Amino acid sequence: MKRFKIAMAAVASAALLLAGCGGEPEGPSSDFDPNAPVTLDLAFWGNDTRAGFYKNAIAKFNEKYPNITVNSTFLPFPEFWEKRQIEAAGRDLPDVMQFDYAYLRQYSQNKLLLDLKPYLGKYIKTDGFAESTLGIGVVNGVTTALPIGTNAWAMFTNTALISKSGAGAYTGGTSWDEYATWMGSVTKAGGGSVWGGTDPTGRIQNFEISLRANGKNLFDDAGAPQFTKADLADFWGKGAQVRGTGATIPTKRLLEVAPKSGFGAGLTTSELTWDNFGAGYAGDLGAAASGLALTAPPVTKAGAKDLYLKPSMLHAIAANSEHPEASALLVDFLVNSQEAGAVFGTNRGLPASSTHLAGVKLDPLSQKILDYETSIKERLGQAPPVPVVGYGSIEEKFRQLGEELGLGTVTVEQAVDQFFSEMDTILKK
Amino acid sequence: MVTVPTSAGTPTARGSGRTTDRRAAAAPHAQQPLEPGRRTSGGAAAAARRETIAGYGFLAPWLVGFFGLTVGPMAVSLYLAFTRYDIFTPPEWVGFGNFVRMFTDDPVFLRSAKVTLEYVLIGTPVKLAAALAIALLLNSITRGSGFFRSAFYTPSLIGASVSVAIVWRAMFAGDGPVDSSLQVLGIELGGWVGDVDLAIPMMIILVVWQFGAPMVIFLAGLKQVPTELYEAAQVDGAGPVHRFWKVTVPMLSPVIFFNLLLETIHAFQVFGSAFIISNGSGAPGGQLNFITIYMYKRGFADMQMGYAAAIAWIVLVVVAIIAAIMFRTARSWVYYAGDNR
Repeated sequence: MKRFKIAMAAVASAALLLAGCGGEPEGPSSDFDPNAPVTLDLAFWGNDTRAGFYKNAIAKFNEKYPNITVNSTFLPFPEFWEKRQIEAAGRDLPDVMQFDYAYLRQYSQNKLLLDLKPYLGKYIKTDGFAESTLGIGVVNGVTTALPIGTNAWAMFTNTALISKSGAGAYTGGTSWDEYATWMGSVTKAGGGSVWGGTDPTGRIQNFEISLRANGKNLFDDAGAPQFTKADLADFWGKGAQVRGTGATIPTKRLLEVAPKSGFGAGLTTSELTWDNFGAGYAGDLGAAASGLALTAPPVTKAGAKDLYLKPSMLHAIAANSEHPEASALLVDFLVNSQEAGAVFGTNRGLPASSTHLAGVKLDPLSQKILDYETSIKERLGQAPPVPVVGYGSIEEKFRQLGEELGLGTVTVEQAVDQFFSEMDTILKK
Repeated sequence: MVTVPTSAGTPTARGSGRTTDRRAAAAPHAQQPLEPGRRTSGGAAAAARRETIAGYGFLAPWLVGFFGLTVGPMAVSLYLAFTRYDIFTPPEWVGFGNFVRMFTDDPVFLRSAKVTLEYVLIGTPVKLAAALAIALLLNSITRGSGFFRSAFYTPSLIGASVSVAIVWRAMFAGDGPVDSSLQVLGIELGGWVGDVDLAIPMMIILVVWQFGAPMVIFLAGLKQVPTELYEAAQVDGAGPVHRFWKVTVPMLSPVIFFNLLLETIHAFQVFGSAFIISNGSGAPGGQLNFITIYMYKRGFADMQMGYAAAIAWIVLVVVAIIAAIMFRTARSWVYYAGDNR
């Protein structure tokens, strides 16, 4: 009889455990005590600069909620997602995550993220958001993430380094050929230690804006590519011409300074990237940060709406979180509060929430970003559809092939074939 | 009269014979009480069962680990190798699709296999040659050999660590210590880290630098070679080179075989240092995209777990074939002292 009781107890506890695993949280529990001590895990990608900001923001959060302990961890972007994928498989994601648009569809569809609807208005204020901005974190009708900020594709130039080399400044918004000529002039003046820039054809975003100039996107609403092998071969072929003139930094040098970019390492004077990268560059470059300028990327076709505002990053809560209410309070603080705005500035993009933005003290760099996004209004078009599942891998493959083209280990034709074969495999999912 | 002694003698002879037989037969019985736990036949069976249970009891932790952490996952990975599996959705059976893709539609896999083989086939023999050479030197000196043995052994303890990989990356960067030193000698190679032709040599130097572990084993082997063999060879007029090839190498061949097998398998497992030196990407141009890194990327970055499992099984099969070839050829070149062949 005793044995039977033990067996029953074991079965019952196993059943409870299984129920705990499979159960879907039904929203905030009514008996949530905001003063109960809880510990939350927070994960984000970035560098030391951003980690410092998060540390300060958490300290401010703890002034309000001393009972909520926040353990934060950070990794560079690719490793951040490798780690999340493994955790996702075990349904063991950190409570609160900085989230990327490219992965939002995959994680939402697999019910890995908490449905935020019951928490909106109650724990997370939504007054500061425009209706369209709130819609960014909605997948299949479910709100699973809140946008932190928006950003746009831009050109950073290192004016201090340019004037040191003796070359002229880049005005922005020229043709791609003129940009290449300018890079060549800087490289020549730099005398082998400074280069004008990095081959722009290594980044999928530059390919994207050249497609958008012709009224297309990378992928349509149904997730089918809107470019042909010939389009890509043409694009990479142009890169080969630029590299052939020796205007851009050799890929070999870039590999040596990675994970810093050539621009961040102070080796190149221009780089096309998202406009919120300024603070990261400033951190990488140290004292030379004052000489950073933001200008418009080269133009593929005059008058085209090739640029767009992208949610730079979002905040999401894991469906497996044991403290969804406390997590919601943290997310509210990180996306809405003036205090967090004051700490982060535009490090995470131009804030999406107006209350968050109100806290941002526009330091020279943030002011530059605000001015930049105002200046490109004419070029801003409609944002492309939510990225396809596996977009992160497609983007990374593009980058790797760009690197190989730079090293000369593949021909343009081979690279195009490899890219399409890879893309087909990923899209077949 | 004649028959009496005969008939009297016969039983005696028979009797003595029987006595001998009985004694021989009785001998095991005589020892029986000395064996513990076998006093009665029923008790013996119970005791044996208890012993078996105790034996399995002691084995249990290992068995749990073996079936739970090795055999189980291996079986699952074999199943996954025939599926398309992204972790989030259930695996979907694709037959031999993954294997076909690997060899017909994935140039990155083929290049990854090529650089891995290059690394193993060059790195391992060079490492063993270095280990044997230093072991011979250390075997010939008496003063300070303990110090040198420890000094040479240290790199093999720390060589696979993250910190050494970071140091390696810095040392072989453009204008780093290695590049600068070579420039002094008039050799202009530039940085190795981002160089398509120099990345594998840089990794080979890293693995050769860790020759300490096989060296210690070689040294132990060298101490076992009987000195009279050298003396006899010397008397017969054999020089140092001759003595090395005709005495040292044959006597050391089991140790060489052991080291070769171990180091080859070990070389296939290269991961951490290449991952860190290439910044997780296998760059430059896939030269450091060793099969383990490629497998990891496919599995955990691209979420193609089925494909990654298929690669893992191909690696296992290739390593098994190489090991089998080694065991096969070993019969003709490995000499075991005391073997009457």
